[in-house]
Parts: sequence; structure tokens; C-alpha cells
Amino acid sequence: MNDQILRVDWPVCTAHGLCAEMLPEVVSLDEWGYPIVHGPVKREDLEMARATVKACPTLALRLLKPPARP
Amino acid sequence: MTADTAMTVITNAPRRDVRNGARRDPVVSQGLALLAGISAGPGLAAHRGRLGPAPAPRVDELVQLARDVDLRGRGGAGFPAAIKLASAARRKAVVVVNASEGEPASRKDAALMLLAPHVVLDGAAAVAHALDTREVHVVVPSELPSIRVGIEKALRDRVGSGERIRWKLHDAAPRFVAGQAQAVLQLLAGKKNLPVTAWQPEAVSGHKGRPTLLSNAETFAHLGHLARVGADGYAAFGTPGEPGTTLVTLRGDGSDPEVREVAFGTPLTDVLTQAEMARPLLLGGYHGTWLKPAQLQGLGVSRRDIAAAGATLGAGVLLPLDEGGCPLVRTEALVDYLAGQSARRCGPCMNGLPAMAEAVRDLVHRAGPVARVEELCGLVVRRGACAHPDGTARLVTSMLRRFPEEVDAHALGDCSAGRSEVFA
Repeated sequence: MNDQILRVDWPVCTAHGLCAEMLPEVVSLDEWGYPIVHGPVKREDLEMARATVKACPTLALRLLKPPARP
Repeated sequence: MTADTAMTVITNAPRRDVRNGARRDPVVSQGLALLAGISAGPGLAAHRGRLGPAPAPRVDELVQLARDVDLRGRGGAGFPAAIKLASAARRKAVVVVNASEGEPASRKDAALMLLAPHVVLDGAAAVAHALDTREVHVVVPSELPSIRVGIEKALRDRVGSGERIRWKLHDAAPRFVAGQAQAVLQLLAGKKNLPVTAWQPEAVSGHKGRPTLLSNAETFAHLGHLARVGADGYAAFGTPGEPGTTLVTLRGDGSDPEVREVAFGTPLTDVLTQAEMARPLLLGGYHGTWLKPAQLQGLGVSRRDIAAAGATLGAGVLLPLDEGGCPLVRTEALVDYLAGQSARRCGPCMNGLPAMAEAVRDLVHRAGPVARVEELCGLVVRRGACAHPDGTARLVTSMLRRFPEEVDAHALGDCSAGRSEVFA
């Protein structure tokens, strides 16, 4: 219900890969080193997700509330 | 890729340039509504003489009309115009007419802008009136200077006739993704004409953070026509479920392109030749979907029927396969072109599309694995600022889905080009 979504600002991301190290529960890397986001961020991972957003070297991550479903 | 292990398929399919160096002007037929007045020329006097002043609807009226006829955007995504209008109907709105037409096989916006500019501009003026704004931006393709010249004159004439709109003209970069909504907003902001991430719809926060009604040129033409003739008048063409007309481009990147305005529900047999009906059709442009000849039987120019067939009308681009062509070879050339059109800003697109082009080339000529193509399609979808990777994956996925026998044939070093009956 309160799960948030990690979104990538793709033109800003330059594949440092820090997100996959900090948040392996949610992020893995593709063959070029860019993040693959697996589903929403669970409540227990939220604090680490916030830290990951802040730590991204290019500030290419955002935590968003899931879109309201009509 | 080394040549010694490679099995090369010798095809007799014509391998033409995807985008012909010299683009031929499309043949444009007199139309039912938007293109009804083209024989009188593009001038303002003839336009006003035929149709009178630009309509000036209230926003609630225009939203209701758009809802009544279920008007959809004609840039490709088919978003309901009423919802967009209602979202943008707030203080300090901006209107943006997108005539950049980045899709190489689409020529319908060029046809409108050249032959019926005031039909489009009246629509933009009507929307500006409804949104209580005087700021209207018009984005034209820089590779077709004749459009800019024509629109400059059209705007001079309108201002000279006392229209109180601040028209601003912009030149879109000559590339596929330049017409994407966020790329257009970047252009308006004086930045590079390339896509960026949209955190909010532009109708909510667009140009300079203002509510921005950004739509395709044809959509404005429909809004103007609708405001002028009303929902009943608009429904003079089309079907009860899908009132009105739509513009289609036939063979838009070929040697005999054609733009036509057709009523919704028009059978495809009225649009394509008998020979074309017997060949695979790429529907919706380079980001579109392949359909097999059997799927074309009984199909009409109808968003619903086409959706039921597993495709979308998109911006109305119909590309029948060339006579004697192979849909795999054609797709390979298109993917190669699309990979080159990446803005090279988003990692998955910058890396994934060239890899996809290579994987498709391997599949078509060297019995490369289908699984690699599928994997790359999965890797690029929804992983970019714009829909370019998604559209490219859609094209490739539809090739795999519609022509599995041909994929198998190529795996054995064969190609059915020239034997079109096998694609039925």
C-alpha cells in the first residue's frame, strides 16, 4: 500500500552502478551496467532506498509514490 | 562477428535505403473535412471565404465536443483530447502545435501544413481562445523549409487580419525523436531538441512549468473543425462508434507516397491496392506493428478493429511490403535506421538498439538466435526518457510474432522474398 517506486532519470544515469550495490533487493545491472529496477520498494527497504537516491553520483534516481489507480 | 562461421542468406529482396535521399512529395487527394478546401489553395482569404472566422469556443464546450466524438490525439499515442484539454485548462496555459513529424514514413502533417495551414492554425486559435491564452507555439520540421516559408506567410496574414495571438515559430531538429513531447518542450526552452525524463504530463507542467496543451498538428485541425461544425456535423463521416475522419500516409518512405483523408470505418480495400492487400503490412510506421495479409481481410481504418488485430493505427502510417520483399529484411533495415536515430542519451537505448540491430542482422543473415533478439527487446522497453526504444522493440517483436515460419526459413539459409503467398 505504501510501497514506493524507484524511478531512473535515464538521460542522467551514466551507469556508475552504486544503486545495485546499495540496494540489491531492488536493483540489478544490465549487460551495460545500467540499473534494472525490480518492482516497488518494500517498506523495510525504504530507508536504504532513500540513502541510495542521495548517494547516486549523478542524482539520477527518484523515489515516487505509485500512480493512483482509477 | 567472423565471416567464416557465418551462414549468409542470399536474398533477392530489394534493399533500398530506409529513408530515400530525395524525399518525394506525397500525392494529396482532396479530402472530406480537413482537406476539403485544398483546391482553393492555402491562402487565408480563400479559407475565410469558405469557412468564416476561426471558431471561439469556451473550454467546457470544446471539452464536451471532444468527449462527444471521442477525439483522440493524432501524433500516435491516441490519447483522448478531452482529458488533455481539461488538464491544461488552468491559468497561464500555453498552446503548442507539433508539426515536426519525425516519423520518416508519415507525411500527413506536412500535407496539412502546406495545403491547409489555416485549418490547423484555426484549431490552434480555437484552443487558445478556450484556454484563455494568446501564446501559441508552432513547431515545424527543419528539413522541409517549404513548410516554414508557408507557415510564416500564413501567420503574417493572420496577424495582419487583426488576430491577437502571439505566434512563435520553432524549427525541430531533423531526427526521429525530435518530435517527442518532452523534446519539443526542450526546444521551446532553447535547449537541445532531445527527450528528457517527464516527471509530470506536460498538460500539468510543461513549457516553463506552465500547463501546456501540446498536440500533433492534425489534432488541432480536428479540434478546429469540431468547434466549427459541432458533434453532429463532425459525425457526418465515420461510424457511430468512431465519428469523423483521419489522415493516413501510404507508402510514405517509398517512391509514390500518398496522403489521404478517410472516414473511420473505411475498409482497407478502399485504401490499399489489391496487390498490397496480399502482402504484409507495417501499420503505424517504423514504431509500428506488422500484420499478415490474412489479418487485413475485413479490416477497416478503425482504431478498435486495428487494436483487436493486435496493432495500432498510430499516426496513420501504412507501409505495405514492397513487391517481392521479405518482411525480415525490411525490418532489419528499419531497426538499423532506428538504432542510428537514438539520441544516445539513455543507456539502454544507446547500447540496446545497436545491439538489437546486430542481433536482427544475425537472425536474418546468419541464423542468429531468436532468444538474443527477444532478450534485447525486453531490456530496452520502458527504460528511456521517450518511447523510441519501446517502439523499436514493438516493431521487432511483431516481426518475430507474425513471421515465425520466415524466421525458421532464414535459420536454414533460405528466404521467401519474391514468394509473397508464403506470408499469407
